[in-house]
Amino acid sequence: MTNFKQITWQLLLLLVAGVISRNIAFAADTPNATVVRFSTDVVPILTKLGCDSGGCHGKATGQNGFKLSLFGFEPELDYDALVTEARGRRLNLADPDRSLLLLKATSRVPHGGGRRLNESSDDYRIVRDWIAQGATAPREDDPKLVRIELLPKEQILRTNATQQLKAMAFFSDGTSRDVTRQAVYQSNEPGIAAVDAEGLVKTGSQHGLVSVMARFGEQIAAFHSAVPFAADEAKMAAAQAQLDQLESKLGASSSDRHLLRQWRRLGVVPSAPADDATFLRRATIDICGTLPTDFEVTEYLADTRSDKRARLIDRLLERPEYASYFALKWADILQNRGAGYSTSKQRAGTTLFAAWIRDSLATNKPYDQFVSELLTASGSQNENPPAIWYRAVRKSPEYVESVAQAFLGVRIQCAQCHHHPTERWSQADYYGLAAVFSRVGRKGGFADAEVPTDEIIYLKERGDVAHPRTGELLKPRPLGGAEFSLGLHDDPRGNLARWMTRSDNPFFARTMVNRLWAHFLGRGIVHPIDDARSTNPPSNPELLDALAQDFIASGFDVKQLIRAITRSYAYGLESAPQPGNTGDTQTFARFYPRRVTAEVLLDGISQVLDVPTNFPGVPAGTRAIELPDENVAAHFLDVFGRPARMSACECERVDAPALTQALELVNSAEIQRKLIDKTGYAQRLAASDKSHADLATEIFLRVLARRPRPEELKAAVEFLVSEPDRAEACRSLLWSLLATNEFLFNH
Amino acid sequence: MSRLTRRNVLQIGAPLLGLGLADFLRLEAQAADAGRPTSQKSLIVFWTDGGISQQDTYDVKPDAPAEYRGMYRSIGSNVPGLVLSDRLPLQARVMDRLSIVRSVHHENGIHAPSAHWMQTGYFGPTLARNAAQKPSFGSVIARAIGSRQPPMPAYVSVPKSEAFGYQGAVYLGKAFNPFEVGADPNAADFKVPNLSLPTGLTARSVDSRRALLKTFDTLRRDIDDSGVMEGLDTFKSQALEMVAGDRMRAAFNLNAEDPKVRDQYGRHRYGQSALLARRLVEAGARCVNINTGNWDHHNDIAKGLDEHLPPLDRAIAALVEDLDARGLLDEVIIYCVGEFGRTPRMNGHAGRDHWSDCFSVLLAGGGIQGGRVIGASEKWGGGVRDRLVTPLDLLATIYHTLGVPLDTHYEDASGRPVSIVGGGQPIHELL
Repeated sequence: MTNFKQITWQLLLLLVAGVISRNIAFAADTPNATVVRFSTDVVPILTKLGCDSGGCHGKATGQNGFKLSLFGFEPELDYDALVTEARGRRLNLADPDRSLLLLKATSRVPHGGGRRLNESSDDYRIVRDWIAQGATAPREDDPKLVRIELLPKEQILRTNATQQLKAMAFFSDGTSRDVTRQAVYQSNEPGIAAVDAEGLVKTGSQHGLVSVMARFGEQIAAFHSAVPFAADEAKMAAAQAQLDQLESKLGASSSDRHLLRQWRRLGVVPSAPADDATFLRRATIDICGTLPTDFEVTEYLADTRSDKRARLIDRLLERPEYASYFALKWADILQNRGAGYSTSKQRAGTTLFAAWIRDSLATNKPYDQFVSELLTASGSQNENPPAIWYRAVRKSPEYVESVAQAFLGVRIQCAQCHHHPTERWSQADYYGLAAVFSRVGRKGGFADAEVPTDEIIYLKERGDVAHPRTGELLKPRPLGGAEFSLGLHDDPRGNLARWMTRSDNPFFARTMVNRLWAHFLGRGIVHPIDDARSTNPPSNPELLDALAQDFIASGFDVKQLIRAITRSYAYGLESAPQPGNTGDTQTFARFYPRRVTAEVLLDGISQVLDVPTNFPGVPAGTRAIELPDENVAAHFLDVFGRPARMSACECERVDAPALTQALELVNSAEIQRKLIDKTGYAQRLAASDKSHADLATEIFLRVLARRPRPEELKAAVEFLVSEPDRAEACRSLLWSLLATNEFLFNH
Repeated sequence: MSRLTRRNVLQIGAPLLGLGLADFLRLEAQAADAGRPTSQKSLIVFWTDGGISQQDTYDVKPDAPAEYRGMYRSIGSNVPGLVLSDRLPLQARVMDRLSIVRSVHHENGIHAPSAHWMQTGYFGPTLARNAAQKPSFGSVIARAIGSRQPPMPAYVSVPKSEAFGYQGAVYLGKAFNPFEVGADPNAADFKVPNLSLPTGLTARSVDSRRALLKTFDTLRRDIDDSGVMEGLDTFKSQALEMVAGDRMRAAFNLNAEDPKVRDQYGRHRYGQSALLARRLVEAGARCVNINTGNWDHHNDIAKGLDEHLPPLDRAIAALVEDLDARGLLDEVIIYCVGEFGRTPRMNGHAGRDHWSDCFSVLLAGGGIQGGRVIGASEKWGGGVRDRLVTPLDLLATIYHTLGVPLDTHYEDASGRPVSIVGGGQPIHELL
């Protein structure tokens, strides 16, 4: 492949460039040759050495009375800490080498953090020179760091290869310098490519996409790389040939084109399409949060129409379970929390909010309208259900973080207390967004509850948000946007909603597209789904953009978006890897399986055994996906990962396995109750005169939504024959299938 | 070729899969070959829910006026000069192996937020926002160093979780929530619900179900690169082993103890819970949390303490002596703590109210020095006179003793790394 030849040349060039630039940097570092500046020379060294990290002197309480600003984001404070605090004993201007700072860092006097600095290193000399030059304070007219660049910006790499990065810093006085050794590096996929402290990237034996972030001062830059799956030119050519064949089979949708382009780039060959039974179960779970019945399975398998998958998706989207299931998802994100309310009078709020969400989904309310109604909700929470969002979201950090995470796909929490370490967000961005909500007022409310219910949300005349460090009053401003120009009676929340839902908003549509893509494909194009940043790029930016553009063009039609995603070639693939995509976790070359969520699992068991779960305080027959809030007692749901709705992050719903889950499956009184219920499916089956083979086939269809394979049928029949108690035999067979990973996963 | 096995996940390190899962695999599953920390130490906690009165137990004020002194006299112990309440005569006899911290301080006087503070080291929830924000120390320990010996769970609650819901794992992951015993060990028919078969299910059926599961659980495991499926497999066999096998059942079988030993601990919930805790740590548990009765004695405190102190006294003293006799006292930390203490001055209902300005906890074993008193309260109680100890200092002491590295950080839901000890420092006088 020409690619690899190019790489070799580029590598050579880079190596040469690296050597030259190092020499230049060395000349600049020569003692006393230049003035050492605190902010841009000394602080980055402290950061690089880890002195100001969150575990050491950078934490809010400092370490042993010595506190630096986290990652050196506030050099003025660091200067005070070094020069003025502790009666100045940290520096020794007369004898710089005897400064406590250097004695500690080199471990010449005992240092809890060990030896961080070598006396013969350049870093040591720079710090010492700064002290020797009189420990000059940062000055207003010091050149400011404007940006950094990382070279190369992108590169295709082979496995077990290296790539030296070069970091250049650019200053306000027009100068620039090589800060390769002072920058801090981090890889987003260390298994694919790790990076060391000197900016040397090393790939391993894995394939895929990887980004390396560099930080110097407040500035960040990223290097993007790909390690192709096809290990050499012959394999790459073979992969392309297979992809050529695939291209002729693909539909014309832009999603499929972008998926293919990515597969070509990485030399990944996707797995085969999933069989019909697998697809039916997959789509029914993903769209309706429900298992297909045995009847649905037989009917679907018998359908011979070529467009039956598309028809299935359309059918599922019109079922009431679609709205219930996605309402559950949104109630998590919107924190429709019931905990803390003991009486049904207080609880009405969660029921009302849940119903509003469900209705919005059932009527396919455009997504921009849905979010605008939430953000701008005012009035009585009894009469205007979206205003109930303001019940769980009450304070500045909650407004900012919920909006950023839920609708903009950005984690901005860090910027509450300091500059965001991996993105451009500053405290001014954080508190500018906070100012949008500073005039949200609350009246009335039923105060006996821990969190008041039935409040009236209104727009106060004023409400100020000050920058926590500078004290400056901040005007309402969206993330990365200009201050809103507001008249006296304008509600800044309206401006925010209009800014978000504009067709050129860089976050809003992409975040929703990515959220739903992750829902269906098991992983976001941006991953994690609410952590979009330049240092964590989308795995397939063109795919994300194309879907987002279509979503905007459709008028934010959510069902249309779901159709686009579920009709994509990737969604229809089987989950088994094949040679050519083994180890792929980023390009959707196969279906990534995931656990069936708590509510769907419990409903699934109830459906299979035909014995409903009795939830306290809700009408009989209510399914788990229909529960109004998370506070309806259900041990099974808590054990299997139902979230407490404490944040807008979908990550709160965890899929980590736990012993208690296994015990719940193995030994649960609830499952046993459903198995022995007199009117339940197990008993009915036992009482029927069906043959052993028919029993076994029906049980497989019902639990796993497929027919048994011959060897499975044989084993099941043998068991049924061997077990004298027909009822117990049915129960055991049902139980064992309910405990298989095939049942516990959507695959 | 690049399929992820558990082992190469471990070699690659956590970031690939997200810290939670890899750590879970490392610690909760059987990864004996994976460089598990070598500490063999464990922890037994007596959680005094509601807040025990320091001035009627470990910080008596014999010379104070009656309304401060309370109704009990003080007695000497086997440590010269160290006096205790006369309701703790058995601990007084083993005081050389126990230490008291008399200067614990935090700044909340309401049960739930205070319980969060003492369980997690951090102030967090308020009455208005009561959900847990940080993991309990038991969960941190479970995640950091895991079970000593699976299938015994790392973190066990006897009989179940209390402390206002703050004994859980929160963002560490559900795998690190406590395993709840679910029954009173002093009950004549004590059985662990989770280990007992539900009505209508026989051991024979469990065996055939187990065999069937093995036959049908054939979904290809290489479709899942996340480790979740492998984790579930491990837990399913562990659960079946717990239910159908003998080892767990044996550990929970108090009838296997000499009746004289059971008497020594006391035939009450405190004593039998402590005995069970000893059996569980011997069998491999890392942290057993005994949730004792309620100590929220606003009214007629003498009545409450007369009921609860003697059994607590017997349980702690017997545990110390039993562990010592078995050569295990240096391996097992004992920690008696509640969310706060009680007001130094009695109230108008012959009770004491909530008090967090200065209260006492008990620490012993696991290598912690005995017979020491750390810190002091003011003359008649009230504030800290000397050597203020924070909730995080207490946790740092316990983590350090157990071998949990104090620079451990775990990411919360927003990805922010949170220190397990914050600014807490181990109490060096005890080490």
